Amino acid sequence: MNEVLAGRALAKRFGQTVALGGVDIAVRAGEAVAIMGPSGSGKSTLLHCLAGIMKPDSGEVHLLGQRIDAMGERQRSALRRTRFGFVFQFGQLLPELPAEENVALPLMLGGVARLQAVRQAREWFGPLGLQGMETRRPGELSGGQAQRVAIARALVTKPAVVFADEPTGALDQNTGHDTMRLLVQATKHNDASLIVVTHDPNVAAACDRTVEVRDGHILALRGAHG
Amino acid sequence: MKTTLALSWRLLRGGGRRGMLGTWLTFGAVAISTALLLFAVSANFAFDARADRGAWRNPVPAQTGAVAIEAQRNDYVRDRQITVIDLAALPPEKAAAGVAPAGVAPAGVTPAGVAPAGVAPAGVAPAGVVPAPPGLPRFPAPGEVWLSPALAALAKELPADQLAGRYPKVAGQIGDEGLVHPNELVAVIGHRPDAAAMTAPRSDDWIVGSPPTKIASFAGVASEEAEAYQVLALIATVLMIVPLLVFGGAAARLTVARRDQRLASLRLIGATPGQVAGMTVAEAVIVALAGALTGAILYGVAVPLLSRIQIGGGVWYLSDLWPSPLVLAATLVAVPLLVGMSAVAGLRRVVVSPLGVAKRETPPGLRFFRVLALIAVLAAVPMLSRSTSVGVIAVVIGLAFLCINLVGPWVVALIGRITAGSARRPARLLAGRRLVDDPRSAWRTVSGVALTGFVAGFLGLLSPSAFSSDPGPAQLRVTVLSGSAQDAVTQAKERLSKAGVQATVKAEKKVVVAALGSTADAGVIDRARTALDGLTPGRTPTTESDDQRFGMQMLADVGAGTVVVLSVSFLVAIASSGITAASSVLDRRQTYALLRLAGTPLSVLDQARRAETLIPLTVMGGGAIAVGAFCAMPFMLGSVSVNGLITLAVCVGLGFGGVIGAGALSRPLLRAVTADPAPRPD
Ligand SMILES: Nc1ncnc2c1ncn2[C@@H]1O[C@H](COP(=O)(O)OP(=O)(O)O)[C@@H](O)[C@H]1O
Ligand SMILES: [Mg+2]
Repeated sequence: MNEVLAGRALAKRFGQTVALGGVDIAVRAGEAVAIMGPSGSGKSTLLHCLAGIMKPDSGEVHLLGQRIDAMGERQRSALRRTRFGFVFQFGQLLPELPAEENVALPLMLGGVARLQAVRQAREWFGPLGLQGMETRRPGELSGGQAQRVAIARALVTKPAVVFADEPTGALDQNTGHDTMRLLVQATKHNDASLIVVTHDPNVAAACDRTVEVRDGHILALRGAHG
Repeated sequence: MKTTLALSWRLLRGGGRRGMLGTWLTFGAVAISTALLLFAVSANFAFDARADRGAWRNPVPAQTGAVAIEAQRNDYVRDRQITVIDLAALPPEKAAAGVAPAGVAPAGVTPAGVAPAGVAPAGVAPAGVVPAPPGLPRFPAPGEVWLSPALAALAKELPADQLAGRYPKVAGQIGDEGLVHPNELVAVIGHRPDAAAMTAPRSDDWIVGSPPTKIASFAGVASEEAEAYQVLALIATVLMIVPLLVFGGAAARLTVARRDQRLASLRLIGATPGQVAGMTVAEAVIVALAGALTGAILYGVAVPLLSRIQIGGGVWYLSDLWPSPLVLAATLVAVPLLVGMSAVAGLRRVVVSPLGVAKRETPPGLRFFRVLALIAVLAAVPMLSRSTSVGVIAVVIGLAFLCINLVGPWVVALIGRITAGSARRPARLLAGRRLVDDPRSAWRTVSGVALTGFVAGFLGLLSPSAFSSDPGPAQLRVTVLSGSAQDAVTQAKERLSKAGVQATVKAEKKVVVAALGSTADAGVIDRARTALDGLTPGRTPTTESDDQRFGMQMLADVGAGTVVVLSVSFLVAIASSGITAASSVLDRRQTYALLRLAGTPLSVLDQARRAETLIPLTVMGGGAIAVGAFCAMPFMLGSVSVNGLITLAVCVGLGFGGVIGAGALSRPLLRAVTADPAPRPD
């Protein structure tokens, strides 16, 4: 069992609302998992608990056998910076930084020298189809380009797991599809696992496995692994 | 229009908790600005009121129809000045004949009453009725003395042979209309027109405010001293108003900054530019009007406190500091109007291009032209001097001030480029890029404090060095103008021994000098003063430190004025720095929150925010101090004083401390907005 990340009996409530009602989930190395479900079903909450953004009320989260949900905020923050990558719907790029510096930022936060960090960041632009966009700022990029920069930023630190919460939700269908394909390919290429929340069945199809969430519970497991 | 208003009201109320925070910040900022604006404006009217009330003691020689003779001189008690007004009514026929008593006016002063004999001009008071001076119920009869309330109280408090003895026949007290300020020491003394005090020649040296002058009425003119205070008040107002305007503008933009995203989406769904502009203006104006009203109340509440500020040796009448209804109305109209206009200017980008804000494009480049404007204004400064007209000086200083404000964003962008280019750590890189991206908002955070640097530099250089604090020997001197000095010495010895004051008296040319010995304290000196009162009619014996009193007073007042202006500037500056820091966190909350989710330490974001204000503050604050000092150079009195340098150092400390503190206040806000695990744009 080469589980990278596992959540056990995760439960979370907000006041009267039960966002998660005891969820078990495990993700293997290099595996891409799609989380689907209607709005308000608890997908984002699950993702946040697994990523150490939020502490579950009960249950455990293990990363490579190490329990992470009980860690303090500072440690979890460091963990997110070094072991995880994130792609959000939009708005995570700093508008005043050129694309390459947005990508280099996580490396610099990890102590890599600026020149080296920018050089490493640039290497991502070609494979992601972003040649010539290095010095553009997010406002000067299209939505799809900006999301690809965000993918580069999520992967640049060589994370163990990439979390993506509706990463193509703000894009048109074709662009969203292309971006999603790139995300899955790039994470696999870097031996990272991927957990992606999506509404789009095509996106889910590109993943190894789909987890259906309904009212804070996992409904069914569809599709084996590929 | 009606729908626009209804919509903006909904927008105002429906902005959610964070939207309301922005609204509250604007409201508070406008209230503070309005209160300070009223203060800055009212101060001028207050000095005008003082000048008007004091004018009657500064007589204007009558061309025709003189009814009285008026003279003014300075006397002293302890370390305070007493203004003594000598008055004598002219007998009707003499007034009509216009015959001046011999030697009334010194050379150079046009003798009063030179109208052709026998011609009684119209409008002259009927014979025997001489108008009462302001504050008195009637014209004082010969021998009568009228005292200001403060002087009457002091005369009661001190032993009679130290002060009260100078006023043998007190008839009553002078009312407020005749006094410059409530603490003023004034004595009005009635004489016969042929009394020695009204006829004896007086030299026109400084101790004599005005030699005996024939007057037709008590209209008078503002004294030179009062005019000097009016000029200083005007300069102080200019120095305070510019940061206030900057602050008001920042506050107005705050409403816009909080709304531009939502307004841009309103545009996207098809609201017309007119509707969007209307809504923004309506919202800004509603908030500003409420803020202005609150500010006026705030000022009203503060008036009793402000009236305790001592200038010119005394506190203020409350009525001097109340703004007139006209000023109040003008302020309540002007402030919301300015805020509305500022809001329109801030919104123009959104209205012109609906995607402008949503896409966050690069702002248009800042023109180098602005630097040239500053250089042009600074080139004009060396041409100024103390004799340049006040209007020109005020305009040049105001322009220099405004130009620093114009150059600010340009310099900030430049600094940002340098910072970003040389950054090795992420915090500096973020700060530098941010400065380049939005130099205007970065400038807004620090402009107030940097502009206060201008004020501090200006005033720091202007503060004159203190006079020596050595009171000099206990020695009274009085000039003898007629008769023999030796006779006066004999008489002085007699008077002093009768009063039981030990003294060696001798004559130095025409000056009687009474040395009271090293053991003489203030009480002994006042006893000697009282004993020698009237030795030379129309003159008062003075010590060396009495002679410096006026200069000391001016020095103390410039010091007090500096403290007031700097306090106002700092209050405004630090408040605006805090407000802009908070609004910048609110504006960027989504990005900050997502960065934090991805594991960016809060401390890095905080360091970046700090660097983002402190780097431009250092450069621009330093620059502004230098420009302020440069502008003050033509008006310097002697060398730079230690006081000025201390003031400057304190300002630099307060500036940095205040901005760091104000920035730190928004740290909990940063923590709060980044704690939201599911950040969404509004
Ligand atoms: N911070 C919060 N405070 C209160 N309720 C929340 C919060 N976050 C999520 N919820 C509630 O928890 C439930 C699950 O939310 P979420 O995980 O965001 O759903 P999804 O991502 O599937 O749309 C919803 O009912 C939502 O209203
Ligand atoms: Mg969600």
